[in-house]
Amino acid sequence: MRRSTAAAVGTLTGAALIVGVRLSVSAPVVPSAAPPAVDLANSGQNDDPEPAGSANKKPSSKKPAAKPTENADEADASGEAGGSGLKNGIFKGSAAKNPYGTIQVSIKISGGKITAADATYPVTGDSATINPPAIASLKQSTLKVQSAEVDAVSGATFTSESYVKSLQAAIDEATA
Amino acid sequence: MHHAEHVMGTVVSIDLADELPPEKLRAMVDDVCGWLHEVDRRFSTYREDSEVSKLRRREIDPADCSTDMRHVLEACADLWRETDGYFDAYAAGPLDPSGYVKGWSVEIASARLVEAGSMNHCVNAGGDIRARGRCATGAPWRVGIRHPWEADKLSWVLAVSDQAVATSGTYERGDHVFNPRTGGPARGLRSVTVVGPDLALADAYATAALAMGEAGIAWLSKLAANGYDSALVTDDGRAFSSAGLPAAV
Repeated sequence: MRRSTAAAVGTLTGAALIVGVRLSVSAPVVPSAAPPAVDLANSGQNDDPEPAGSANKKPSSKKPAAKPTENADEADASGEAGGSGLKNGIFKGSAAKNPYGTIQVSIKISGGKITAADATYPVTGDSATINPPAIASLKQSTLKVQSAEVDAVSGATFTSESYVKSLQAAIDEATA
Repeated sequence: MHHAEHVMGTVVSIDLADELPPEKLRAMVDDVCGWLHEVDRRFSTYREDSEVSKLRRREIDPADCSTDMRHVLEACADLWRETDGYFDAYAAGPLDPSGYVKGWSVEIASARLVEAGSMNHCVNAGGDIRARGRCATGAPWRVGIRHPWEADKLSWVLAVSDQAVATSGTYERGDHVFNPRTGGPARGLRSVTVVGPDLALADAYATAALAMGEAGIAWLSKLAANGYDSALVTDDGRAFSSAGLPAAV
């Protein structure tokens, strides 16, 4: 039982290594961690009919992303449910260090199923330095129609023949 | 002084805003026109006796070309690499460096004007512009970007002092820009304008982005770091511009 829970956490840790790096690359300008996709602390205590292992009951563990001390093994106290071999509760993998920072995964199990998963991912330090500088992409706007007075007109190259009908020809005539 | 010269298959408008004696300004205009006609003679693909035509027929070797021609060939090769092959002097088959030559020749024309004492001028070669200093009122030159569907309207108005403005589009001469990857005409973008320090590069970048199609939007955004801003309109009428575009209004 324990082993299967730990295995799930382990797999997710691996996934988070990928997810974590991708997140930090796609949002390089955000200096703080994105809010967790799932609020493990709250859902664990309010919605779970058979709440949680010991880890979940400590007030300090309400922010799973900030406290990498809990261990999946501590979640043993609660009973098995759903016949899947997974115990209800919230489980955290051990903090995994990689060249980009530290990543830790949390999963929530209820009814024998993983119902939520989250991970911390690095947002500063090494991770920030390997991200390329943000490229300001072109901004979309409404195509305007203007008829202001100008000194010259830039446009696709006209031929000698089509010049006579161009706005530039009108400017040249006016200023000749 | 204002002058419009028919040359290189288009019309070059020369605007000199310096307060100098008329005969001096006249001489400057004549010098610039002389240079542009010389470029036409040497680089035109339509003239049998041009250096480009001789190169095409392999009557001369690239190593034996003029200094200017070797510069043009090198610049085209550099731009081919820099644009992932989308600026291609061989896109239509035989060598055609016109996409670089026009902007380059106007850059040199502007440099000659500076050397002769003109610090305030605007040269517009068929829609590709090199501006310096200020216009006659003392304000920056106001450059309009032609509306890609309404020939007598503008889609942007820029205020430029020492910059080049180049536009490539599919609306004037039809499908004359090709996507070298597909071999077909460029699709996706209707008009691309690039603003930056060098007209030859700005023109080549605009042409390359047009050839890329919508992928050119992301490619252009990377040019801003090198001092080249851009504004473009897609085939379906969406407008895009970079944050540094010197828009006047």
